[in-house]
Amino acid sequence: MSIKQLIFRNLKKNLKNYYLYVFALIFSAALYFAFVTLQYDPSMTEAKGSIKGAAALKAASVLLLGIVTIFLLYANKIFIKRRSKEIGLFQLIGMTKNKIFSILTTENFLLYFGSVLLGILFGFAFSKLAIMILYRVTGVEAIATLHFSAQALIQTLIVFVGIYLLIMLTNFIFIKRQTILSLFRVVLSTEGKVSKISMLEIVIGMLGLIFIIVGYYVSSKLFGGDFNNEAKLYLAMIAILGFVITGTYLFYKGTVRFVFNLIRKKKNGYLSVNEVLSLSSIMFRMKSNALLLTIITTVSALAIGLLSLSYISYYSAEKTARNYVPNQFSFTNTDTAGTFKEKLNENHIGFKETNVEVLRVRADLSSVMKAKLEASSTATGLNPKNVILSVVSDSNVKGENLSKRNIYLTGVSDLQQSFFKIQDSGQIIWKTKKEKMLQNYTGMKKDSVVSIPFSAGMPTAVVNDSVFQVLKDGLDPSLQTDASHYVGIDVTKETELQKANDLFQKQQYKAGQFSRMEMLHEQKQNMGLIMFIVGFLGLAFLITSGCILYFKQMDESEEEKPNYTILRKLGFSRGDLLAGIRFKQLFNFGIPLVLGLIHSYFAVKSGWFLFGTELWTPIILVMVLYTALYSIFGILSVVYYKKVIKEAL
Amino acid sequence: MTILEAKNLHKSYGNKFNKQEVLKGLDFSFEKGEFVSIMGPSGSGKTTLLNVLSSIDRINSGSIMIEGNEITGMKEKQLAEFRKHHLGFIFQEYNLLDTLTVKENILLPLSVTKISPAEADHRFTMLANELGIYELKDKYPNEISGGQKQRTSAARAFIHQPSIIFADEPTGALDSKSASGLLNKLSELNRSRNATIIMVTHDPVAASYCSRILFIKDGQLYTQLHKGNQTRQEFFKDVMKTQGVLGGVQNEH
Repeated sequence: MSIKQLIFRNLKKNLKNYYLYVFALIFSAALYFAFVTLQYDPSMTEAKGSIKGAAALKAASVLLLGIVTIFLLYANKIFIKRRSKEIGLFQLIGMTKNKIFSILTTENFLLYFGSVLLGILFGFAFSKLAIMILYRVTGVEAIATLHFSAQALIQTLIVFVGIYLLIMLTNFIFIKRQTILSLFRVVLSTEGKVSKISMLEIVIGMLGLIFIIVGYYVSSKLFGGDFNNEAKLYLAMIAILGFVITGTYLFYKGTVRFVFNLIRKKKNGYLSVNEVLSLSSIMFRMKSNALLLTIITTVSALAIGLLSLSYISYYSAEKTARNYVPNQFSFTNTDTAGTFKEKLNENHIGFKETNVEVLRVRADLSSVMKAKLEASSTATGLNPKNVILSVVSDSNVKGENLSKRNIYLTGVSDLQQSFFKIQDSGQIIWKTKKEKMLQNYTGMKKDSVVSIPFSAGMPTAVVNDSVFQVLKDGLDPSLQTDASHYVGIDVTKETELQKANDLFQKQQYKAGQFSRMEMLHEQKQNMGLIMFIVGFLGLAFLITSGCILYFKQMDESEEEKPNYTILRKLGFSRGDLLAGIRFKQLFNFGIPLVLGLIHSYFAVKSGWFLFGTELWTPIILVMVLYTALYSIFGILSVVYYKKVIKEAL
Repeated sequence: MTILEAKNLHKSYGNKFNKQEVLKGLDFSFEKGEFVSIMGPSGSGKTTLLNVLSSIDRINSGSIMIEGNEITGMKEKQLAEFRKHHLGFIFQEYNLLDTLTVKENILLPLSVTKISPAEADHRFTMLANELGIYELKDKYPNEISGGQKQRTSAARAFIHQPSIIFADEPTGALDSKSASGLLNKLSELNRSRNATIIMVTHDPVAASYCSRILFIKDGQLYTQLHKGNQTRQEFFKDVMKTQGVLGGVQNEH
C-alpha cells in the first residue's frame, strides 16, 4: 500500500470516528466567517455608523478568534491522543518521525480545509440569519441583503491557515517527544493516580470555598459605598476576580474531592452503583481537570453575566427613557416648547401640556444622606451639608397634596442610590438667601417629575406649594441654570406620536430638549448591537465549552469502558449503569454550570443598576436559556455513554 | 443436590462461511458445595464454557439449569438480574474498580440487595478477616499486591452468598506463594460456607485443590477425575498424568 493510499484510507476511517473534530472545525469556521462577513458588510454601516460599533465588532472578532483557536487546539489534542497507537505502529514498522508527521499533515490538511470550506458555506448562510436578527434587535429597518465578501473570505482563510500551522506545530512537538513505548501507553497515563485524601487537599478544599465566599461578599459590597474612589473600586474588582477565579480553581482541585470524600466516608464502604459511577469517578478526575473546568466556569460566568447585563439594558430601555424624560417630549423653557406646540397645531395633532417651574436651592442633607456619603463624597465631590437640589411644587405633581412640613424626593435612580445611600426619613434644611428652613423628609419615589437637564443626576424635591413660594422668594440667582421651566408635552393619540416625533426631529433643537421616542430608539440601537455581539460571543462560548466538556466525556467513557465491563459481568444491567451515568453527568456538567450561574449572578447583582432598572426578568430568562442550550451537550454525552456501555460486554 | 446441570452445550463463533465450533455437545452437572476444576489445553474451550455457564455469553443450543432455572432462554435484563443475585465471579485480572477502596469493591454486589448497612458491615468483617484483608479495607487497588487484589476479588464473589462462584484462572497472574494462599482460602470458604466453586485453570497445582476435575479437549468432555480420599499430592500426580496424555499434540503419522 502506498503512502497515498494510506492517507486516503486513514481519512475515510477518521471521518467516521472523529466526526466531532470535523464538527468543531465546521462550526468554528462558520461562526468566524459569519461574524467577519457581518463586519465587512456594507449594509451594516447604518447599525455600525450610528453607534460607532465598528470598534466593538472588531474587538469581538479578536475575542472570537481567541475562543476558536483554543477550542480547535483542544479538539486536536484529543484527536491526536486517540491516534497515538497508530502513530506508534507506524514507528514500529520503521517510518521516521518526519515521515509520520508528513502523513499526518497531509491527512489533516484535507480534513481541515475541507471542513473549513464547508464551514464557510454554512457561515455565509448563517450570517444572513444573523443580520436579520441584528436588524430586529436594533430596530434598523432595512432588508437583509448580503454580499459575499471577498475580504471576509480572505481574512477567514488567513486566520484558519494560522490556526492550522499552530495545530501542526503542536502535533510536531507531540510526535517528536514520544517514544514508541510511550505512544502505546499514552491513553493510560493521562489521569492522575488514585490516592488518599491528604491534609493538604482538605486545606485546599476549605480555601476554595472560603475564597469564593469572600469574592461574593466583596462583590455585594462593591457599590455599597465602602470603596469610594476609582482606585479602590478598581482594586476591589481585581480582588473579586482574583478571589473567585482562584477559589473556583481550588474548588475543583480540592473541594469537590473533599466533599465527595465526606459523603463516601459516611457510607462506610457501602456504595450504590450510582455512587460508584458518579462520586468515585468524578472525585479522581475533577482534580486533573481543574484548570480546564476553571476556564469553562469562568467563561460561562462571563458569558451569562455579559448576556444578562446587556439584556438588562435592552429590556430596561423604555423604563430608563421614562426616568430621564417623564413626558413624550420635554423642553427646558417655554419658548422652545412654544415653537413645537405651534408645529403640532399646524399639523392638527392634539396634545396635553405639563408645566413645572423648577427652582434650584441649596440644602443640608446631612441627616438624610448618612454615613455612606462621607465616604463617597470624595469620589463625587459632594458635600451632604451643601447640596444643590431642584425643587418643584406639589401642585405640579398629579395627585399629590403635601402638608407644609413634609417633603419627599423623586427621580432617584438605583445608580444614584449606589453612590449615596439616602435614608427613608430624616430632616432637610433649606438654605435660602433669607433664612434656613427645616422640613421633614418622608421618603423617596422613583418616578421623576422633570427631565434629566433639571435633575442633573441628583434627586428632585417635591414640596408644598406655599413652601415653594417661600423658597422662590429667597432664591439665589447664581444657582439657577438655563433650565428653569420644564414643559412636558404628551400627544393625545398614540397613533400620532410618530408624526409628532418626525416634526420634533425636523426642528433640530439644541441640547436639553428630548423626545422620548427618539431616546428609546437610540437606546435600543446602542444596546441592540451590544446585545447582538455579546449574544454571538455568548453562543460561541456556550457551544465551545459544551463541546470541550463533551469531548472530555467521550474520552473518559472510553477510559472507563473496562469498568463497565466488570460491572456488567457482575450483573449490573445496562439500565443500572446508565442511571449511574446520568447521575454522573448531572455533576460533570452541572457543577461547572451551577458555579458559573452563581458567579454570574453575583457579578450581575453587584452592578446591574448601572445598566438598567429591571433585574429579575432578564437575568432569569438568560439563565434558563443558557442552561437549556448547555444541557443539550450533557444529554449528547449520555447518549455516547449509552453506546459505550452497550459495547462493554 | 444438583445445582447446575448442563445438557448438550453447543457454541460456535464466526459466520456461516467461517465457522469455528468451540463447544461440541457437553453434558455435566455440579452438586451443591462442590469445588470443581475445568482443565484443558489452550483452545479447548475452557473460558468459553465458563462464560457460557456464567451467562456472560450465550450458547447456540443446549440447556443450562441453575438451581432449577433455565437460563438459556432469559432476556439480557433477566440474566443481569440473575448474575447479580445468584453468581459470583473471580477473574484472572482481578477486575477491581480502581476508583473504589477494597471495602467498597467488596461490598459492591450488596448494593443492589436489600441488606442493611449494619448487616453488610458484619458480613464484610467476617469475610475480610477470613481472607486476611481486613487491614487493607481503606486502601485502593493500586496500593496492594496481586495476591491481595485477588483475595479482594474473592471476597467480592462471596459477599452476597451466591449459589455458584465462577473463577477464571484466579491464580494465573499470581506468584506461587500467593496462589497457594488464595487456593487454601478458597477451599476453606468452600468447606465453611458450603459454597459451590467452579474454577477454570490450566495449572495442575491449582486444580489439585478441587474435589473433582473435568478435562475438556476440543470442545468435548475428555475425562474426569475424582479426588476421593487421596491426599492433594497423590491427586496432583493423577492430574499430571492425565494432562500428559491430554496435552500432547497427536502425531499424525
